[in-house]
Amino acid sequence: MRCRALLLVLVLLLQGCTPDREGATNEMTAGGLMGESAAAGFARATEPRRFAFPTDHGPHPDYQTEWWYLTGNLEDDQGARFGFQVTFFRFALTPDNSEAASPWRTRDAWMAHFAITDAEGGIHHKAERFSRGAVGLAGARAKPFAVWLDDWRLAADPDSPDTWHLEAQAEGFGLRLALSSGKPPVLQGDAGLSRKSAEPGNASYYYSLTRLAAAGEVRLGQRHVAAEGSAWMDREWSTSALSREQAGWDWFALQLQDGHELMFYRLRLRDGETDPHSAGTLVGPDATVIRLDADDVELTPLSYWSAPDGRRYPVEWRMRLPARELSWQIRPVLDDQEMALSVRYWEGAVDVLGENGTPIGVGYIELAGYD
Amino acid sequence: MRAGRRFLLAHRWQTLLAVLGVALGVAIVVAVDLANQSAQRAFEASMDAVTGRATHQILGSPTGMSAEHYVALRRDLGMTASAPVVEGLVSIDEETFQLIGVDPFAEAGFRPALGGDAQADLTGFLIGSGALLARTTADRLGLVAGDTFAVRALGEEHRLTLTGRLSGDADIDGLVWVDVATAQTLLNRGNVLDRIDLRLEQPHTLQTIEAWLPPGLRLRAADTRGNAQREMTRAFRINLTAMSLLAIVVGGFLIYNTMLFSVLRRRRVLGIYRMLGVTRGEITRIILLETGLLAIVGIGLGLLLGTVLAQLLLGLVVQTINDLYFQLTVREVSLPPASLATGIGIGLGAALLAGLPAAVEAGRTAPITTQRRSGLEARQLHRLPWLTIGGLVLIGFGYLGVQYPSRSLLPGFAALFLVIFGAALVAPALLHLASRISAPILARLLPGIGHLAARDTGAGLSRTGVAVAALGIAVAATIGVGIMTGSFRVTVAQWLDRTLQGDMYVAAPSDVSARVSGALPASLVADLRGLDDIAHVSTGRSVELEAGFGPVQTLVIEMAPQSYDGFKLLTEMEGGAWPAFDTGAAVIVSEPLAYHQDLQVGDTLRLHTTEGPRRFRVAGVFQDYGSDRGMLVMRRALYADYWDDPAVGTVGIYLRDRATLSTATARVRALLAAHPEQALLHLTRDIRERSLAIFDRTFAVTDVLRLLVIGIAFVGILSALLAMQLERRRDHATLRALGVTPWQLWLLVAAQALLIAVTALIVAAPLGLAMSQLLIDVINLRAFGWRLTLTPRAGVFVDGAMLSLGAALLASIWPAWRIARTSPAAALREE
Repeated sequence: MRCRALLLVLVLLLQGCTPDREGATNEMTAGGLMGESAAAGFARATEPRRFAFPTDHGPHPDYQTEWWYLTGNLEDDQGARFGFQVTFFRFALTPDNSEAASPWRTRDAWMAHFAITDAEGGIHHKAERFSRGAVGLAGARAKPFAVWLDDWRLAADPDSPDTWHLEAQAEGFGLRLALSSGKPPVLQGDAGLSRKSAEPGNASYYYSLTRLAAAGEVRLGQRHVAAEGSAWMDREWSTSALSREQAGWDWFALQLQDGHELMFYRLRLRDGETDPHSAGTLVGPDATVIRLDADDVELTPLSYWSAPDGRRYPVEWRMRLPARELSWQIRPVLDDQEMALSVRYWEGAVDVLGENGTPIGVGYIELAGYD
Repeated sequence: MRAGRRFLLAHRWQTLLAVLGVALGVAIVVAVDLANQSAQRAFEASMDAVTGRATHQILGSPTGMSAEHYVALRRDLGMTASAPVVEGLVSIDEETFQLIGVDPFAEAGFRPALGGDAQADLTGFLIGSGALLARTTADRLGLVAGDTFAVRALGEEHRLTLTGRLSGDADIDGLVWVDVATAQTLLNRGNVLDRIDLRLEQPHTLQTIEAWLPPGLRLRAADTRGNAQREMTRAFRINLTAMSLLAIVVGGFLIYNTMLFSVLRRRRVLGIYRMLGVTRGEITRIILLETGLLAIVGIGLGLLLGTVLAQLLLGLVVQTINDLYFQLTVREVSLPPASLATGIGIGLGAALLAGLPAAVEAGRTAPITTQRRSGLEARQLHRLPWLTIGGLVLIGFGYLGVQYPSRSLLPGFAALFLVIFGAALVAPALLHLASRISAPILARLLPGIGHLAARDTGAGLSRTGVAVAALGIAVAATIGVGIMTGSFRVTVAQWLDRTLQGDMYVAAPSDVSARVSGALPASLVADLRGLDDIAHVSTGRSVELEAGFGPVQTLVIEMAPQSYDGFKLLTEMEGGAWPAFDTGAAVIVSEPLAYHQDLQVGDTLRLHTTEGPRRFRVAGVFQDYGSDRGMLVMRRALYADYWDDPAVGTVGIYLRDRATLSTATARVRALLAAHPEQALLHLTRDIRERSLAIFDRTFAVTDVLRLLVIGIAFVGILSALLAMQLERRRDHATLRALGVTPWQLWLLVAAQALLIAVTALIVAAPLGLAMSQLLIDVINLRAFGWRLTLTPRAGVFVDGAMLSLGAALLASIWPAWRIARTSPAAALREE
């Protein structure tokens, strides 16, 4: 799912200035920065590599962009539904790695997004943060694994490295979870090399943890709610940019009750067609991985939600895998799960319904590049 | 009304001079106010830009705080409404700028100023030593985005790249915005922050922060610093305003004079009006209206002139603020309507007040066709004792006011003005006396007319009295201010001689108004100690410590044996200040600090140390003119116990007896050259000269104001004497008709003018001396907290005498010329 960084770069480049003053400040903090995406001097994803864990959970500073993307669905003991998203983005400003006179001199800019969907309350909470990757304000490391920005943090438990702790607190909402993976990492694309267009090097290294058991608490205002469920982590690093013909993408990460997971991204071309480089995987209960190509999956929007600024997102879908005779309805738990931050996109918790409308799973979808 | 206009137009010189008087007075008031306000506005704007929306600030030790505290604040406490700041001074093209290092990632919601430029190249700002400048600054320096430019920081040259220009609210001259990393690099600060800005919107976050605050850090409200800086320049601004008010007082005499003259000349017309049924009140109102119209013309001119003058004064005011207080860049005079309104109000008020006696006099006009002026003069003479007593009472009140223990400036200035007005009321009596005493002398000197000159001057008191008062005050003002600045300079020069005990000083490059002075490399200090010719060294480090009452400039000193003589102790604790200073937890404080904070020897002073608040005893109070905020001196070893800051900013060098200055200088220079870091060698005599030059510069604005007051006084005296002589034209014509030659007549006029001038001097000399005493003992003490030694110089009095006599002589030439030219018969026909 390399597209997400492209989303950032694109939107920031194209969106220019935001009207309010605070937004303008953010524009300076994020926009100006990612606009400069001179790729020269960085490593590029050109051929499959050997992945090693937990090392590859850590940072890959030779590549320009990298992210840790956590999404998940939780429930409390009363059955109330919550969705969450915690994302850490790293953007290298320069390939130059030499020591500077000041420890504050940074080579990386970091951005983090955090959201909680409170389905019962009908509210989607969201927040973002920025930081330099210096003096310990933000960063990532492999051993012991940790990635953080201020007090938002994903880190391996020092005593049991297979358990991770995720914590993020924002104004009015917070999250504290313990995560452990039930399946080995799934290498996306060609053994982890995910090609995004025909141009060589226009690709990323991409793996996913498709089913993480999650348990902990959700905070809404002063209310702390114990909740558990399952989470998904996407990891991707790369150096290249989206091709000019690509306008945006729709990304799906579904976890079915029968033990299957499905990831599929559809790259949309400017003419509205689906890019042939769209792809995905179907993971079986036994962790067997089946590649999905662009024409393996049919996607039809069922309903739209319009943001206050007029953007129209297709938030409800029909997904069909004709070869497998599968057809699902994908329905958001809340229509408004737009991440209206410095970068605007829609990212939200969904229910997966079977042929007769029975719930068969949950998931997260991301809709980017709409206007 | 029409008669009035005709009159004023017919006596256009007279009118012009009065208008000029008001114009100059208003111009000075407005100019000083505009300059003050512009400096103040620039200060506020720059303060707003730098403080932004921060509500609180966390400060560390004098040298700043470790950046780890900031990281902990965000990572452990999740206090993300926080932003780091590193500050210092740099220069671009010899011009000083405030360098502000910020973290753009943390800026959102802090300094909206920075978000203004959407074109800013953030990557360049972060990694390419980028800088943001105000559009005004960039235009002035001729820079566009992408240009690189040289800045000097701590003596080293660096290159920055302009990554963006700030406009709108952020267009504030004098600031250079850079990334924290760039600021740390330029200012050689390692991983240190000067402060952390906070936006605490809820009380519980404030409590959380207070509970978390590690020892050595402290929390303060964000506006504290602005208040402290505003307070610093307050006394300076009040002093300027008082000077400008003096100008309007002198200007008021002109109005008084002109209006009285116009009333006297029209007494016949006014008498007819009264016969025709015009009431007293109506006549009074007519005269006041005339005065108002005159004033409005003067005020209009004054506003125009004041705006121009403000530009000149602004430069001088800002120069003084930069020399004495803090860095400020202002080029534009702003024109707040309030300043203009103040000028109009003060001008109109002073004019109407000055016109009131004339209006009342006019109202008294009896409804008869002929009303002799002698009636007025008789009344004037009758009033003389009362005027004199009133004047003496005012002077008495002035002196009593000064005796009243107060630290406020305003009663001080009130007393000063009471004494001035008192002297003005006493002046006519002195003239009366002088005319009587001088009559026999003049009679002998100028046979035939001398007696007349003296008696005539005394008899025309309604006019000559005012002239004497106006001239006396103006001359007294120049004498008073002259003695004050002269005494100040002498005192400072003596103090410099005493303070600069060393033969030479080595200093790290730093700027006058930086919070912390630069640091010399330790190896250099060690090498200096080891030099052959050197008997002793003293070391100094200037830091800003935080006392219970606010920031206090502190000199951390390692004393050489000679250093003790460098401090003149005004009071010291029992057993002497030095034993306590050398061994105990004791400090000495400067006179201004003791005055402002009401510190007595033996008191204790609370300072924030790295280990939290500690109390230090005041062992002595020493004379100091280095800072009007005051200064604290602490022994190096004591400082080292409580603050972790071994840096040394200056080294004082004391040579052995046999060493010669030139060879020692050469050796020190060679040593400095061998060190890669920059250090500057200052010879004691150069420091003395430079200090006095700065002193003179800071008084430039006072001198300009003094000259302007003299200018108004000159116009005033000219106008008063002219009026008097022109009014006597008919009498002069009579004299001509009786056979007095034009030359004799000129002698008569000149003798009268001189009599007035000499009397004015007799008023001015003691009044000037009294004013200087008030300025030194009351105003300076209350404004700055220091005492000066009153040292009157003869030159000041000579200047005053020349001013007074020169004006008198000049004023007698024109009337004499007029008299000589006019045929007696024509002049005898009364207008």
